Amino acid sequence: MTEPRRAAPWALAALAAVLAACSGAPPSPAPSSGEASPAAAGAAGGKRKIKIALIAKSSTNPVFLAARSGAEAAAKELGPKSGVEIEVAWLTPPQEDGQVQAQRIAQAVNEGADAIVISCSDAGKVTGAINDAVGRGLSVMTFDSDAPQSKRFTFYGVDDLKTGQATMAELATQMGGKGKVAVLQGNQNAPNLQKRVQGVREEAAKHPGLEIVGVFPNIETPQDAAAEVIRVNNAYPEIQGWAMVGGWPLFTRTLLDEIDPKRMKIVAVDALPVELPYVEKGLAPVLLAQPVYLWGYVGVSTIVDKLVLNKTVPERIPMELVRVSKDNLGQWAQQLKAWGFSDVPEKYLQMGASPK
Amino acid sequence: MRSLVQRVLTSPAAGLLMVILLLGTILTLFAGAHVDRRTGQEVNNFLNSNTLVQTATDASFFAIMAVGATFVIISGGIDLSVGSVYALTGVTMALVLRALGPSSGLATVLIGLAISVSVGLVCGILNGLMVVGLPVHPFVITLGTMWILRGLAFVISRAESILVPASLTAMAKASLGLTASLYPVPMLMMIAAAILGMLYLERTVMGRHIFALGGNPEASRFAGLRLGRIQMGVFVVSGLTASLAAFLGASFYGSASCGDAAGYELYVIASAVVGGASLTGGKGSAISAMLGALLIVLIRQSIRTLHLDQNYEWIVIGCAIIIAVVLDQGSARVAARRLVAAPTGGTR
Repeated sequence: MTEPRRAAPWALAALAAVLAACSGAPPSPAPSSGEASPAAAGAAGGKRKIKIALIAKSSTNPVFLAARSGAEAAAKELGPKSGVEIEVAWLTPPQEDGQVQAQRIAQAVNEGADAIVISCSDAGKVTGAINDAVGRGLSVMTFDSDAPQSKRFTFYGVDDLKTGQATMAELATQMGGKGKVAVLQGNQNAPNLQKRVQGVREEAAKHPGLEIVGVFPNIETPQDAAAEVIRVNNAYPEIQGWAMVGGWPLFTRTLLDEIDPKRMKIVAVDALPVELPYVEKGLAPVLLAQPVYLWGYVGVSTIVDKLVLNKTVPERIPMELVRVSKDNLGQWAQQLKAWGFSDVPEKYLQMGASPK
Repeated sequence: MRSLVQRVLTSPAAGLLMVILLLGTILTLFAGAHVDRRTGQEVNNFLNSNTLVQTATDASFFAIMAVGATFVIISGGIDLSVGSVYALTGVTMALVLRALGPSSGLATVLIGLAISVSVGLVCGILNGLMVVGLPVHPFVITLGTMWILRGLAFVISRAESILVPASLTAMAKASLGLTASLYPVPMLMMIAAAILGMLYLERTVMGRHIFALGGNPEASRFAGLRLGRIQMGVFVVSGLTASLAAFLGASFYGSASCGDAAGYELYVIASAVVGGASLTGGKGSAISAMLGALLIVLIRQSIRTLHLDQNYEWIVIGCAIIIAVVLDQGSARVAARRLVAAPTGGTR
């Protein structure tokens, strides 16, 4: 008789079989080309194909989901134009983990990807894997958070130091150059966020009336971030402003009810649809938006430029921040809608349709 | 001889191995293929040396931890602090090596290993002392040390990601005569740790004492076993394996940070449980824990290889663990019923 214990592994195997049955993978779609570079040469008699692995920091962060949308849109749009079939493989870990990102890079290489577009959770952890991938013939570019010591060919993103400075400068303006300020940092290990915080500090030093009461790291989920802001506000009732180097707590509506906009001002990086009511209410009079959709769109188009069109790509592609305030709220909402965000509130879209 | 073969074939490890092979076969069939840009040859997306070694490497870090955690689980305890021991070990080693400055490759490796082992030893002793000395369940003690040790790692590293010397990475990524892009060291260390764990548990008196403690603490006490010492020992082993994994992980990936291995304790415990360890103690195997880790990584791998939406990863792994545990408990109930039903002097 088979004991239940013996059956356990087989039950797991059955689970695996179910997974396989659900698989969308083709049984054996190997191109027949014997060329050394599938991206450059393509399969004989078939359409040329390039596979791009997109590895963002976390698949639970909405800004990276926007990047994914951008990458997929670029693949759809640029594929026919450039005569290649572009596949975007989403290999983002469920939560931030540099080690897992390094594993995903190795996996992309082993599964025949031609290029990798990555936002690095921990540059130290992924540098070796990026260099291995480049050594095995892949083109790797970074976005959002760089690994400058690696052999990636380009970085696309904002200047983080300047972003931090701009955040603090806007907050200083909103607060009349005086008052006590807290800084929300996000993941302490992310080099891009560390740089932004450095920028915040540098800018704050230029305003003698401003005092930073603390820099507070947070788990980069909306609820955890909002809870951290509330905790800090309770512990430091004198806080009058928040400089947020990422918009995590504003991805919930929690703070709209918790904070009086007459008592406190927030300036944050990012401006996703869910954050727009903060601008309307005046609690976050200015948001500094990274066009996060473009992370993916420009990522894919840059890879196409390099691999297919053989264009020269600069080592750094600057991304410009968009200042979102009540003045351009409607236009920004329209832009978000055009980028494929489905949750843009209708009233903001109407503002954009009929500007004052 | 026949009995030995029969024992091997009917062991839980053999079952897990067959499942891994079956899953591997399924993945091979459904993975598709690509053209290797170096050789121009068509290679299967799963069944190629790079993917197989990479899968084993991915599993190796928490498989090594799972071997130590299995000792604790067999003894009837639990160790939730292994991920934090991993993080603290990594950052301590990286900071000390950075402070010491450059030295020869071998010296760096030996110093790094010594620091790692020392940190793991101290953490293991700390856990063991509190579990033995305080009237609190190991779950609570190690839940506390999980936060304490992670916090220590955070404070001493100032949340920086600290690079480790290149000689450590060269050691962990040595190809050992294989193709330059194959890195078998973590995999070999995992196998060595599992074999050593198996030999200790199954071939030594001390190992049998751990089973005795987990199987029936009261009987063990009456039999004169020094339970405190055994408990201390299993937590020391758990600390040591976590530190060995950290040494390898930081070396392999080239840096250490306080966020390393966050949440890995759950993968580690899941590996041991999928490998047949009973959370009520008295049952478990180091080899099966390693295979459990491999199976979990393979399930994770399959989600991507089969082009499934990877947002389902946690759901699938959660289902796998529940299935394993439910069936394991069913097994225990069946075994208990058989024991009751068996005639006096019945066979095992």
